[in-house]
Amino acid sequence: MSGGVGLLELQDIHAYYGNIRALKGVSLRVGRGEIVTLIGSNGAGKTTTLRTVLGTVRPLRGTVTFDGRRIDRVPTHRIARLGIAQSPEGRRIFAPMTVLENLELGAFARTDREAIARDLEHVLALFPRLRDRLQQKGGTLSGGEQQMLAMGRALMAHPDMLLLDEPSMGLSPILVETIFDIIQSINRLGTTILLVEQNARMALRVAHRGYVIQTGRIVLQDAAAALLHSDVVRKAYLGEK
Amino acid sequence: MTDRDRLRPLPAALLVTALLAYPFVDRALQAQTVHAVTDAMIYVLLALGLNIVVGYAGLLDLGYAAFFAIGAYTMGLLNSPVLGSPLYGHAWSFWVVIWISALVSAGLGVVIGAPTLRVRGDYLAIITLAFGEIIPVAIRNLGDITIDIGGWQPVQRLNLTGGENGVNPVGRPHLPGVNFDTDFIPWYFLILVIGAASLWAMSRMRHSRLGRAWMAIREDETAADCTGVNPVKTKLLAFALGASFAGFAGSFYAAKLQAITPGAFEFNVSIMLLCMVVLGGMGSLRGVILGGMLITLFDRILLAQMTFLIRWIGRSLGIAALASVDLTLWRWFFFGLGLVVIMLIRPEGLAGRRVRPPAADVDEREEALALVTAPPPPRADTVPAWLRQSAPSAAAPVTRPVLEVRGLTRRFGGLLAVSEADLRIPPRGIVGLIGPNGAGKTTFFNLITGLLRPDRGEILLDGESLIGLRPHAIVGRGVARTFQSIRLFQNMTVLDNVLVGEHCRLLASVAGAVLRPPAVVAEEARARDRARDMLAFVGLPDRDEELAKNLAYGDQRRLEIARALASQPRLLLLDEPTAGMNPRETDALTELIGLLREEIGLAVLLIEHRMEVVMAISDRITVLDYGTRIAEGTPAEIRRDAKVIEAYLGKGYEAELVSG
Repeated sequence: MSGGVGLLELQDIHAYYGNIRALKGVSLRVGRGEIVTLIGSNGAGKTTTLRTVLGTVRPLRGTVTFDGRRIDRVPTHRIARLGIAQSPEGRRIFAPMTVLENLELGAFARTDREAIARDLEHVLALFPRLRDRLQQKGGTLSGGEQQMLAMGRALMAHPDMLLLDEPSMGLSPILVETIFDIIQSINRLGTTILLVEQNARMALRVAHRGYVIQTGRIVLQDAAAALLHSDVVRKAYLGEK
Repeated sequence: MTDRDRLRPLPAALLVTALLAYPFVDRALQAQTVHAVTDAMIYVLLALGLNIVVGYAGLLDLGYAAFFAIGAYTMGLLNSPVLGSPLYGHAWSFWVVIWISALVSAGLGVVIGAPTLRVRGDYLAIITLAFGEIIPVAIRNLGDITIDIGGWQPVQRLNLTGGENGVNPVGRPHLPGVNFDTDFIPWYFLILVIGAASLWAMSRMRHSRLGRAWMAIREDETAADCTGVNPVKTKLLAFALGASFAGFAGSFYAAKLQAITPGAFEFNVSIMLLCMVVLGGMGSLRGVILGGMLITLFDRILLAQMTFLIRWIGRSLGIAALASVDLTLWRWFFFGLGLVVIMLIRPEGLAGRRVRPPAADVDEREEALALVTAPPPPRADTVPAWLRQSAPSAAAPVTRPVLEVRGLTRRFGGLLAVSEADLRIPPRGIVGLIGPNGAGKTTFFNLITGLLRPDRGEILLDGESLIGLRPHAIVGRGVARTFQSIRLFQNMTVLDNVLVGEHCRLLASVAGAVLRPPAVVAEEARARDRARDMLAFVGLPDRDEELAKNLAYGDQRRLEIARALASQPRLLLLDEPTAGMNPRETDALTELIGLLREEIGLAVLLIEHRMEVVMAISDRITVLDYGTRIAEGTPAEIRRDAKVIEAYLGKGYEAELVSG
């Protein structure tokens, strides 16, 4: 699967993150309906790549296209309305607000009440644990539940495309499995996913295609199954000797 | 020592010459600005004092002018004939009373601070705001006290403060051959000397054990507490020292003006002082001096001169509206405008620490550090020797566990976060603590380190109970920790972070920090050597002066471990130390933990989700679920435990073990 028409395309992106030249010509494409994973170490440029898509980091050079439209100069809040939602690293949920309020905030830009109610049901079906905790404050959830809430909130925007930044970080082994199962379910329901992960093994298992980023450059791209067996990935990212 | 406030020799010589020559040039030109400049210097002294509180320790004080008032009134009441003070009228009166003023203000700082500094930021701001309002009102009302109990008046029209009229005259300083009465130049030099001495003392405090503790509190109070810094004591010291400088400045102000009224110490003075600190750059001595000078001189000289100029233009052109302008009425407008503009273009203040521009080699350096090329594996010969010395001797037969936890229970509302949990860590033991998210592992850490108090149960370190001790005291006993979400002192350097870790093993006091006797100098030098050893050991050599927040994620984790080790713990608690690390970094960290056990006999309690790490280095593993211990055993036992697989590992884990 090569992705066909790219829903999201990054062309030769160069960007600074703070003082560090984080991206040095990154190109990648996510086709409609795909799960594409971007794997790499800390500081390799994964999060910066996501930030250039969302417009919180502006590229020095290069273009970002979403659904055929250039978005690299569009303000972040308008990018969100175009159909891209993000579940940020470190689960930035609104701690003093209830789970329900957090989810409703995800649909902030929408006005179609009936569809919002339908999506809420959807999200609660995906994350049954959130249904039990709807009136609980976000800050009182456990780490795994907060991760689910962050993903659920992103889904409430009914996005065409979901950006996930390290969804498995800090989760117990059993929850990691659950989260990756849910990622696959979300994708089957029609949402395109760009998944940034340190846990290369799990990411490559659920993704269709993958890119490997090292020090701001894409060094490898292939079908996920092929990457799982490539020497570079096995040594550097799967910890095999 | 990097001293950002130190000048190079040539500019320093030029500055000193200019400061010495200025009043005489002013007199030659008949500019008559010395009076205003001297007042400006008094305000600068005040702003510098406030900078200790706000800039160093990060405590928002909205009523700082109250301490200024206390200092001024102490001088006014003790060194004035109005209330018949016995201290008045001697040649030494002024020189003695200034110290009394500073002490009284500092004392009041302690009285106000001791109960209020336990509360967090916002409340402190409100309490100081109230204090700043109360003092001028009290001064006004204490000028005419009558106590009337059913017609009996034990106190009639008693005047303690001069009331609305204030105190006049206030005695001036006396020095043989110097005229403080009609000439402003001696005042200029007196305050210049006092200001320079204060600056010197503050700069030394800033670069001491105490200064680091202040900044650690400002950056993250909880982390500072868990690193061995006593937050209440440290904040109180900042508050009292700040107040003493205000008292000092107040007493000079009163004597120079020769008269004081309560109107000079209103809320707007506190705000103006805060503006000076913010405008100049919080925490920067140079910035605060600049901010203080700019604001006062703008107010005292520039606005008046501009008013004259505009009026003159108005008269010349016959425009009545301009001829009657008074810009001094607009001073608050200009302050406000100026502050808004500065905050927009330089939020860190005029002399705040700027983000360093990208250096040419940053790019290559980042490449070199990129984590695919992992950090060098730790080596036994780099384990800091001083850690070894503090270790319990391996030869001594020790049977008592380092840590023993029995029946530990903590409830949050209706939720049992930790319930009847037991745990033992033998000397040189590494114990893994695992369990599903929300099982109570981090709560367990918070109970041991004193951030939370248990409802029930015992926590014994080497047989002594830790219950009821504050976190910093527990660090002192020998328990250090890291945090799940890294909590470094972000805006401090790498070296300073480790030095704060050593805080509880160092002794330098305030006086020691300022006077630097040989013992303090030696202690500081040794502390720095140790910190560098520690950084080399964890794989962060030669990065002393970088800000912690600029380190890559894995490096931040290693720095946090270095900071924890710097307190020379007997027990180290690591909360998900490999989260966010790549496989090679994880390997290096696993080796490092093993080395600490082998070389210095450290005991470790480890929360970790990466099973390959936990299983590889733990002697024994405890599994928590819903706050209760569901299993305890060797890694091999835990791996096969049905309950653990069900609640935590998942069926896939077994499959992975087979395939991987």
